[in-house]
Amino acid sequence: MSVIEKLNALKKYFVEEYIIKPNRRVYVFKSEDLKALFQDLIKVFGYENFYVATIVGTDLISEGKIRLDYYVNLLPDEVTVVFRTYLPRENPTIDSLIDIIPGVLSGECETYDLVGVVFRGNEFLKRGFFVPKEFVEQKIYPLRKDVKV
Amino acid sequence: MGAKKVIEVPYVVELPVGPQHPALHEPLLLKAYAEGEEIVKVEINTGYNHRGIEKLAERNNFYRNIFICGRVCGICNTVHANCYTRALEYLLGVEPNNRAKYLRVVAMEFERIHSHMLINAIMAEILGFDSLFMNMMLDRERIMKAKEILTGNRVIGDYMMVGGVRRDVDEVKRDKLIKLLKQLRPRVEYYKKLFIEDETILKRLVDTGLLSRVNATKYSFVGPVARGSNVRIDVRASDKYDAYGDIPWNVITYKEGDSWARMMVRWDETLEAIDMCIYALEHLPSDGNPVPDERRLPRKFPEGESYARVEAQRGELTYYVMSTGGVNPYRVKIRTPSFLNVIHSAILYPGYSIADLPVIFVSLDPCIACMERVAVVDVDEGRRRLVRLKDLAKGVY
Amino acid sequence: MGKPKILKLILKNFVSKPATLHYPLKEYRVIKFPYEHTLIEEDARGRHYADLTKCTGCSLCKLDCPADAIEMIPIPEGYEAPKINPRKIYPVVNYFRCVFCYRCVTICPVNAYITTSEYRLASPESIDSSQLSLSTLKKASGG
Ligand code: SF4
Ligand code: SF4
Repeated sequence: MSVIEKLNALKKYFVEEYIIKPNRRVYVFKSEDLKALFQDLIKVFGYENFYVATIVGTDLISEGKIRLDYYVNLLPDEVTVVFRTYLPRENPTIDSLIDIIPGVLSGECETYDLVGVVFRGNEFLKRGFFVPKEFVEQKIYPLRKDVKV
Repeated sequence: MGAKKVIEVPYVVELPVGPQHPALHEPLLLKAYAEGEEIVKVEINTGYNHRGIEKLAERNNFYRNIFICGRVCGICNTVHANCYTRALEYLLGVEPNNRAKYLRVVAMEFERIHSHMLINAIMAEILGFDSLFMNMMLDRERIMKAKEILTGNRVIGDYMMVGGVRRDVDEVKRDKLIKLLKQLRPRVEYYKKLFIEDETILKRLVDTGLLSRVNATKYSFVGPVARGSNVRIDVRASDKYDAYGDIPWNVITYKEGDSWARMMVRWDETLEAIDMCIYALEHLPSDGNPVPDERRLPRKFPEGESYARVEAQRGELTYYVMSTGGVNPYRVKIRTPSFLNVIHSAILYPGYSIADLPVIFVSLDPCIACMERVAVVDVDEGRRRLVRLKDLAKGVY
Repeated sequence: MGKPKILKLILKNFVSKPATLHYPLKEYRVIKFPYEHTLIEEDARGRHYADLTKCTGCSLCKLDCPADAIEMIPIPEGYEAPKINPRKIYPVVNYFRCVFCYRCVTICPVNAYITTSEYRLASPESIDSSQLSLSTLKKASGG
């Protein structure tokens, strides 16, 4: 697959590779590389040929980590690949991509509001974008596993 | 020292549109800032429609979630259920037989037809063209009837289940469905022609809310919005899930990138969907019973993750399901197309007049129920009831 | 171009019969409406209730109902509980909570549910299925 070959140019960022069902390739990277990775992705593919489909934050409470997945669709064949990274659960912060890819706005806002991942440099982040006021006042992130609602 | 300098104070009016507004059918606040008639900035404020589906899904078992997911949105319930069901099928490693796959496609395409007709009708209403709206809704009744014949309910199909569909069609029903579709097709062609030729419609839609090719991907627009800007993305073509690989059909793209192009994409897709349904019903394979025995399915799921995509009427819909082995999923993440299309739409409005705002907004086919399924209401009882009431309200739009 | 193409259709609609049904209304001023309720498919998903001659009281339907609409309650006195139902409980569907997904119907191991296409649920008697379910029992035990 040509798209996957193109991705090889980014190989230096990846620490691990595997597949989740049905056939989505997962590339694990270090959280501090996020910005460089996506800058290179833009260089290799160009703005026209990929979009960030989803950002999924998962609270892995037993490991004390928060997993952050960027699901990216690569055009023209629409191959979905996953860029995955782990953040510490106590202080989950990562660089924001909003200045290079504006399409992450919704995903970053949602992940901040519900899981509590702070995206450094995204000035649109605000609590209460989706959750009701009570949650903002109690400072809880509803999709954390230790939160009972 | 006379007044040499004239200091121009920009006269910007803040104009809240929504959450309850005659021109918007959805509870969302668009804060528009206007200079005179021209919009300079739009802020999108959400949070008027709270639902806690993702958290709710973590607390219910895999099978109950099929129905909960089907109620994320009334208009696109079968695609939601299909996406979630397929995510479960990937986890379990089961595959439905061909007949079930064809029937799934028929159910989903029915939904596409009625959803596209609805939004086009709403567009006509927004333009002040109420008689067109009424006529379209009347013809839409046919497809609602067809959906009732196929799934047993006009709106909420509840048609998908792990390993197949919930009921089969017999010959009588099949002929009825084909007849309904064949009646509907000339009507849709007629409406499409109206959208191409009618001056009232063209004046309001053409060159309104332009979205360029590069911005479509940069801002992650999906579905008919992206295809109206000549981005060739369609999950049905790339993932070929269910029977989409076997049935002949075309991906529709338009180059114009304005509101008109988005509506035309929808009309063409409606026609395409009608043909697909007729083909699928006429070529329905008969390789066994499409209805699996629900009682035989395993209650516990193996560990694993799966990520299913589906082309909903409004664009790419994705479900991420993570199982750690057990009866409940560990994490379910739903990303609906409106979530991207609506939140990022702020870039489309500036430069157009206030009267264009509802037109652009409707041309995105917004669905707030889809978008805001994230928050949770504490009270245990209150929560479930809330979800249901919202669904009922959604079902009739 | 000129006048909108839809003009012909609009004129036609002026003279044709109304497309909608006046549901509860039989007469308005002098106009008489044919009283009809919306025709619905035979097998549309409507009100359903458990046939207590078949139900074993296993509670599976209650556990799997996504809307928590089913409650298991004891069979009241005066009714003879069938032998297959050792715990003497039966499912009562609260129709106001039920979303008519029919999960309970398909999951029931003994196919105990009787399904109807009755979609008009607004009646004071049948907000839940207890009366309908118990009526199956009365017949079975001969009153
Ligand atoms: S039809 Fe669905 S919601 Fe209604 S009682 Fe049965 S399982 Fe519950
Ligand atoms: S699943 Fe069937 S047998 Fe079991 S309680 Fe429900 S109706 Fe009765």
